[in-house]
Amino acid sequence: MTLRMTPKAVIIGSLAILALITFVMVYWPYATRDDTPSNIFRFRSPEEAAGRDIYIANGCVYCHSQSIRTIDWGHGAERIAQAGDYVADRPILLGSERTGVDLSQEGGEHPDDWHIAHFINPRYTRPNSIMPLFAFLGEKKLHTLTRYVQGLGLKQADHRMQRQIYWKQEAIKAYESGPVANVKWLADHVPAGWRHLPNPYPTTDAGLARGHMIYQQFCLGCHGPIGDGMGPAQPHLYPPPLNFTILHGREISGGILYYQIMNGITGTAMPYFKRELESEKIWDVGNYVAVYFINQSDANQEPRGIDSSWEP
Amino acid sequence: MDSSTTSAALTNRTARAFCLTSAGWMVMATLMGLTGATELIAPDLYHNISWLVFGRVRPIHVNLVLFGFVTPGLLASAFYFLPRLLQTEIYSERLGLITAGLWNITLVAAVISLATGYSQGREYAELIWPIDVLVVVCFGLVCFNLFMTVKRRQEPLLYVSVWYVCAAVILTSVTYCIGNVIWQPNSGALVGIPDAIILWFYGHNIFGLLLTPLSIAVAYYVIPTAIRSPLYSHTLSLIGFWSLIVVYTHIGTHHLLQVPVPTWLKVIAIVDSIAMVIPVMVFLINIWYTAKGKLGEIHADIGAKFVFAGTIMYFFVSIQGSIMALPQVQRVTHFNNWVVGHAHIGVLGFAAMIALGGLYFIIPRITGRPLYSRLLADLQYWLILIGVVGFTVVLTTVGLIQGNAWLNGETVYRVLPEIHLYYVLRASLGVLIFSSAIIGLYNIIRSLLPHPGARA
Repeated sequence: MTLRMTPKAVIIGSLAILALITFVMVYWPYATRDDTPSNIFRFRSPEEAAGRDIYIANGCVYCHSQSIRTIDWGHGAERIAQAGDYVADRPILLGSERTGVDLSQEGGEHPDDWHIAHFINPRYTRPNSIMPLFAFLGEKKLHTLTRYVQGLGLKQADHRMQRQIYWKQEAIKAYESGPVANVKWLADHVPAGWRHLPNPYPTTDAGLARGHMIYQQFCLGCHGPIGDGMGPAQPHLYPPPLNFTILHGREISGGILYYQIMNGITGTAMPYFKRELESEKIWDVGNYVAVYFINQSDANQEPRGIDSSWEP
Repeated sequence: MDSSTTSAALTNRTARAFCLTSAGWMVMATLMGLTGATELIAPDLYHNISWLVFGRVRPIHVNLVLFGFVTPGLLASAFYFLPRLLQTEIYSERLGLITAGLWNITLVAAVISLATGYSQGREYAELIWPIDVLVVVCFGLVCFNLFMTVKRRQEPLLYVSVWYVCAAVILTSVTYCIGNVIWQPNSGALVGIPDAIILWFYGHNIFGLLLTPLSIAVAYYVIPTAIRSPLYSHTLSLIGFWSLIVVYTHIGTHHLLQVPVPTWLKVIAIVDSIAMVIPVMVFLINIWYTAKGKLGEIHADIGAKFVFAGTIMYFFVSIQGSIMALPQVQRVTHFNNWVVGHAHIGVLGFAAMIALGGLYFIIPRITGRPLYSRLLADLQYWLILIGVVGFTVVLTTVGLIQGNAWLNGETVYRVLPEIHLYYVLRASLGVLIFSSAIIGLYNIIRSLLPHPGARA
């Protein structure tokens, strides 16, 4: 004698199972949820909320997660996601794929002008990006969207934004005081140890070729193919990208270049690259800039310690 | 189980309408998939055309595949075989036609709303509230029509395909409302982590309570009919049916293993994901033992051939799915193209193969003529088979490259040049799928229309 499968048994039976499981798997976690905001939580401003609507309408969530995991290294990895970060998110935008970077902590990573240039054409600031162009949104919506993105990370984003705003004022002041003062200002903010450090690797064809490749993938959009600061992003950025060709004879050491590439120049569109590029890649691209655009490289000069075993 | 006397009297108008719905939307759905895949290679291609931006194309692709192509294809078969299994007519062919019409209006509204940026931003639950209501009305009308047909049946016993169809349409009506948080018209969402839990509960139910049971229903009808043999085991049918509903509804949270949701919920999701082996293998053993020694007859019928290939894909995608639910595996596979590959094996390899198999199985039996072209149907079979196997290889490879590079500390941006080639291969395979959709639509239209010059 087997179970008699009548229409009632099928329909009522399966509905009853669904109801029970919905209670356990959906309602129970809902009823026992913890609404306590996390330490970084704050509510979004109306403009940020409007930017979030633009984010949703254009399906940004399909490529950008907002979900930092314990195993992550990249963007925002300093802050593992907590349930209390999301207590005002309707809908929650965790995402399911990282075709682009996680944006949980994007706020304040870059200044506003970097984002505008990047939205107009992502290849302007990130030459290898496969993100679509969002110039069609128009200036007003791009600014609203930027407000949302700059708020990602909530209180932590606010902290980073204050830093961006402060240093942007300083960077603009330096830029407007002329090239000599600007270059000095930039170099003076590099710690002394780095300022007096020559590039420890000798100039080689292979190293220059690697530096060239890195330059094309990371630098070209702002500094331009000939290093004059006239890349496609330039019209959208202020202060504008640095023109390397004016640096000859201004005591730009390999260490200064390395430090600026590694750490970025907060307040300007120059990002830090320490997450993207390992040590040798930064030295290589720095030497590429020194050799081809500044026409003055200190590679392999003293003090350099014991020659590395691989050196030619 | 087929009765020729009843068959002759049936008009199958609803089944025909859903055949055309499915074949037509397959073209649009795969075109959107191909468009999205192309944008990942050449992001400047549709320069600033707002409605072709990737983030709008992707949900159009996904929604059209689920609700435009695969579900109507499977329902076409259901509207064909229910009257035959129940020895009665469809309760109302007229209502069926109205349902199909409303279904198509809903799909057009879905495409327009998503293309113009009206989205609720939740995967598989993007559609705005008025369209959600249309979807629920469509499913409600299907439920009503099919349940009334069951009620008027002449055959007292319900065959296993009938159980699955009835459960699929009623459970989806309910789970669609829950998942789309339909009592919140403005947002269609809960707040915070509970929203993620309810979303993936629903997202997985679209596969577990809609595509899978309908596909299984079609397989349970097509395979025994094609080989003229009884089903291997009634007991296995029963175990498979009830265990599918119990187990599948528990596993949605395996999408959230790396998210701060309650641990007990993750444990249930992982354990039940492994337990999915039970409903999957019970069904497959039942259908494969039924087909044992009769593969020649399956091969001879292009519809049955599609369906049988779909069952093999079901085996692969389900075992893969169970493995993917393990936290240690997800450290590599989560957030990358591995999962996209998995979704394509499941929906294209399993559910869509069976949906198309159902169409090719029922169309000659509806018209009383052979297909317009068996060759074109075979060509479509091979294009899809090569395409989906290719997707599996390519996307799994990309996923492994991405996942391992990320674990190793490389940024998403750094990995882009390494995977470009695979995106090219993936779009190339998409051309095969899109071509097959055009071939299928042509073949199905020509098969359903009176042949030119044919006798009246």
